[in-house]
Amino acid sequence: MLRLLLQELRFRINGIIGWGLGLSFFPVVYVGMYPSFAEQMESFQELMDLAIYQAMGISMAGFEGFIASTVTNLVPVILCIYAVINGTGTLAGEEDDGRLELIVSLPIPRWQIVAVKAVALGIALFIILVIVGAGAALTMEMITISVETRVTSLDVFLSLLAAWPLAMAVGMISLFLGAFSPNRRTASAIATVVVLVSYLGSNLSGMISSLEKIEKLFLFHYYEATAQALEMGQQTDNMIALLVISLVAFGLALVFFQRRSITVGAWPWQRGVISK
Amino acid sequence: MTDYAIETKGLSLYYGRHRGILDVDLRVEKGDIFGFLGPNGAGKTTTQRVLMDIIRPTAGAAYIFGKDCQKEGVATRERIGYLPGELSLYNDMKARQFFKMFFSLQKSNTDPGHWQKLADRLELDTSRKIREYSSGNKQKVGIVIAFMNKPDLLILDEPTSGLDPLVKQTVMELVREANQAGATVFFSSHILSEVQAVCNRVGIIREGQLVATERVEDLTTQHFKRIRFNFAKMPPGDAFTQDGVIETGRDEGGITLEVYTHLDRVMEQATSFGITDIETIPVSLEEIFLAYYGKGNGGNNA
Repeated sequence: MLRLLLQELRFRINGIIGWGLGLSFFPVVYVGMYPSFAEQMESFQELMDLAIYQAMGISMAGFEGFIASTVTNLVPVILCIYAVINGTGTLAGEEDDGRLELIVSLPIPRWQIVAVKAVALGIALFIILVIVGAGAALTMEMITISVETRVTSLDVFLSLLAAWPLAMAVGMISLFLGAFSPNRRTASAIATVVVLVSYLGSNLSGMISSLEKIEKLFLFHYYEATAQALEMGQQTDNMIALLVISLVAFGLALVFFQRRSITVGAWPWQRGVISK
Repeated sequence: MTDYAIETKGLSLYYGRHRGILDVDLRVEKGDIFGFLGPNGAGKTTTQRVLMDIIRPTAGAAYIFGKDCQKEGVATRERIGYLPGELSLYNDMKARQFFKMFFSLQKSNTDPGHWQKLADRLELDTSRKIREYSSGNKQKVGIVIAFMNKPDLLILDEPTSGLDPLVKQTVMELVREANQAGATVFFSSHILSEVQAVCNRVGIIREGQLVATERVEDLTTQHFKRIRFNFAKMPPGDAFTQDGVIETGRDEGGITLEVYTHLDRVMEQATSFGITDIETIPVSLEEIFLAYYGKGNGGNNA
């Protein structure tokens, strides 16, 4: 099992480095640029009251608000795209391109294949966040002198790391969709809709009272990209909720992959029906 | 202890409403080189994938060395070397890395350098990335991974597909050598001369149903006889017109007949015209195969 895990990580290493460095661009640029337009931020406040910004969870009051609205708001969303690409690519993608047939033909139980791929995805997401967090923290260190804030480099680093349960939940849902759907394209489409609806729904539920009743259905409800969360950290019960969602999705992926006919490409209810 | 390397009982599989295989009862004895024949879409690949537990059957069961392919899939796959028909590889890896990875993921006590010997025999440069290979070289990679573990059972889907004649010959040698070392070989192929040369038994699958499993020599001698008669006096055109007899050739010297039934009656009729010479012409597996498909003489002999 360890050998398979090492192979999985080896396959992902270029993607991890690429996404880690690419995603670091966001915090490095946003944090690094802040001192140069800190004074202008106050004039943006009226704009921030617009519904569109609120829907996107953007509120740039002060440095903490700016960092929360840009770095800790956007990085998890983009990381969720990686989680969707990799989560659906892991089982469904490899099945589509035929490589899964070789892996399944090995004397390895199917549950181990799913477990190893899930762990590898979790590790990949964590390492990417460490790279991005480190980039943000280093940039933060460089501008500390010119910015008045209670937020430390460690706060920024940890706030980015705290996006892991959210990204993991999206990754596991994508993994499950890959084991459930007929092909990767379908799984990716559904997973992308889940992420978009969750993101917008979570932000809109704070503005539209009728959405408050269903706000707990949105994944992003369990992740706060606010100045308060930047300083105080994410709520423990929210992180637990995301981990439970991840575990449930992983469990479903196990169940459906265990029963899946590889290479067939069909919904579960379409498989193995004897026509009379 | 079962004598069968492969045994299926009432194996059926539907892709939604589409038939994959239907009620397949297949037995491959230990030590056989078994050729699995059928046109595209007949159900060869489906059967092999069910044996590998890649696809789950709709009904019936499949056993490898007496063990259920689904319930004891890991234990059965430990003894199998598999070459998929649609081979997809990790293109960014060098072949050498791929072989090491694949070997490490198998539970094997085999010589870890065996893959290198196989690659050398197939003249495969393992230092190159797989994406740089031609389709023939990719097929060689597939051959190596199937044989590298010295398995007790080889399941090969079109093993010589895309290979040049020399490499095809090497692959057939590998098949024979593995068999001589005790392995059972179950392979599908469209190249019937190849199957005839190497297999001792064949199964013919048509529209998902197994229509024949026989020893190759039995199939080629018992299905029909092709006989050439030379006569002192040529018989009339309708002399042998009857059920189970087809006149396939006529020239000045004589007549060629394919005799499916009533050989004794045909001999009597021929004798009445004064036979000057008689010759039994060997029937190839290909002709048998075509007879099953083209002329619809495929009763279930399994």
